Amino acid sequence: MIVRRTVALLGLPAVLVAAWWVASAGSTDFYRPPLARILAAFRDTWFGRRLLDDVAPSLARLAVGYTVALCAGIAIGVAIGASPRLRALTEPVLEFLRAIPPPVLVPVVILVAGIGDLMKVLVIVSGCLWPVLLNTVEGVRAIDPTLADTARVYHIGGTLRLRRLVLRAASPQIVTGARQALSIGIILMVISEMFAASSGLGFTVVQFQRSFAIPEMWSGVLLLGLLGVLLSLGFRAVEARVLGWYHGLRAVARGSR
Amino acid sequence: MLDVAGLRKVYEGQGHRVEAIADLTFRVGTGEFACLVGPSGCGKTTLLRCLAGLLAPTAGMVRVDGVPVAGPPPELAVVFQEYGRSLFPWLRVRENVELPLRAKGLPKARRQSIVDDALAAVGLADAGRAYPWQLSGGMQQRVAIARAVGYHPRVLLMDEPFAAVDAQTRADLEDLIRDVWRRLSVTLLFVTHDIDEAVYLGQRVIVLSAAPSTVDADLAVDLPDERDQLSTRADPRFTDLRTQVWSRIKRTTALEASP
Repeated sequence: MIVRRTVALLGLPAVLVAAWWVASAGSTDFYRPPLARILAAFRDTWFGRRLLDDVAPSLARLAVGYTVALCAGIAIGVAIGASPRLRALTEPVLEFLRAIPPPVLVPVVILVAGIGDLMKVLVIVSGCLWPVLLNTVEGVRAIDPTLADTARVYHIGGTLRLRRLVLRAASPQIVTGARQALSIGIILMVISEMFAASSGLGFTVVQFQRSFAIPEMWSGVLLLGLLGVLLSLGFRAVEARVLGWYHGLRAVARGSR
Repeated sequence: MLDVAGLRKVYEGQGHRVEAIADLTFRVGTGEFACLVGPSGCGKTTLLRCLAGLLAPTAGMVRVDGVPVAGPPPELAVVFQEYGRSLFPWLRVRENVELPLRAKGLPKARRQSIVDDALAAVGLADAGRAYPWQLSGGMQQRVAIARAVGYHPRVLLMDEPFAAVDAQTRADLEDLIRDVWRRLSVTLLFVTHDIDEAVYLGQRVIVLSAAPSTVDADLAVDLPDERDQLSTRADPRFTDLRTQVWSRIKRTTALEASP
């Protein structure tokens, strides 16, 4: 069973890497070096000072921006979702703001916040906020009326209601929003570093490309892909904990039909 | 204990108007077990929501222990028909029963002992660690009853709580609720569309007319206090009472059907 799942998980990537290896083995094309050289560059480039100088700052900015977006999105989303009037008032504005592609905001944010860490964090927040916020609004709005009545009858109010009813009931949607936000966050982490930066993964990849360090550039792309995979695996582990009840409930509902 | 005076509820929609309850007046005494029956669509759930303070009536007043109801009154618990939607699916059975006690601000040790007692009272002492959706429908409704029992209400409202379970489970739950009522000495109003169930359970059966509803009849159930699924239901007095209720309901639906 475990063997089978491992094969299913790693089979296709293994085949693709092998195909890349073989196809590029004798390549003399300057822009498409052999995979062996890219991997060597990978080892030399990333397992050294760059891990601290470039990878860590990138991830730190992503972590701060993502966390701020998550907290703000949930807080504002709960407030809007709980009030039909607030919802009617804010809906058009939210739809408009969501429709703006976040990379467009980079020049604007630079005007406001300069070119430091604050700018990069703000760019990440400005992209990650919307999926979390809009999904939270939906989740809070869709709380089962019988459950809400139950809470009223038993005088479950205030923070107890927020923690045990509102946030839990909305958690499947909040998690969906958080998942979308994570992939947007990774993209924006890189993009924000391509403008006026002096460190970070995006900055380094662009730097390599401009200085014709092609195997190193490819290795940076590889590293970004791997980071994305690791982050999504981590996300899944958290999701399994937070939404264990939801998946169980869904499985039961499917079984009884 | 539970006073309903001149209760009226009209739903106003865009361009249409539905009168669910025309004029209801009745009273359930302290410690009494009253059943409320009526034809389907007679506004039973609307009435129950008004009694529980979940819905504001158009006119009239509900009093619990002499206090006018403006929101859900303290010391009143409700067991809803949709057990699957009234239990918190992300909380384990124990936590579901415990949640209202947390809201009351009881200390942890006290909460634990109340939860233990309540789960034992409904025969679920071993199911505390399960999630509600891992249990059968009947067991889920037992959890909802345990939650109400642990809350120690003085008035308990039940909205067709056994409508969605199979016949055998239903009989067990009926006996369970008689047992709970006696032990808690709670004032109980049990809403159902099942005439046999109403007569079997209650000390009194209040028959509602079709919507817009009024009280059509108010019958005392003079069956012995010790009830049993086999002998009580075979008692000639039981069949006599159920015939009375039946003909009342028949008449009110027939009246409605004729122009």
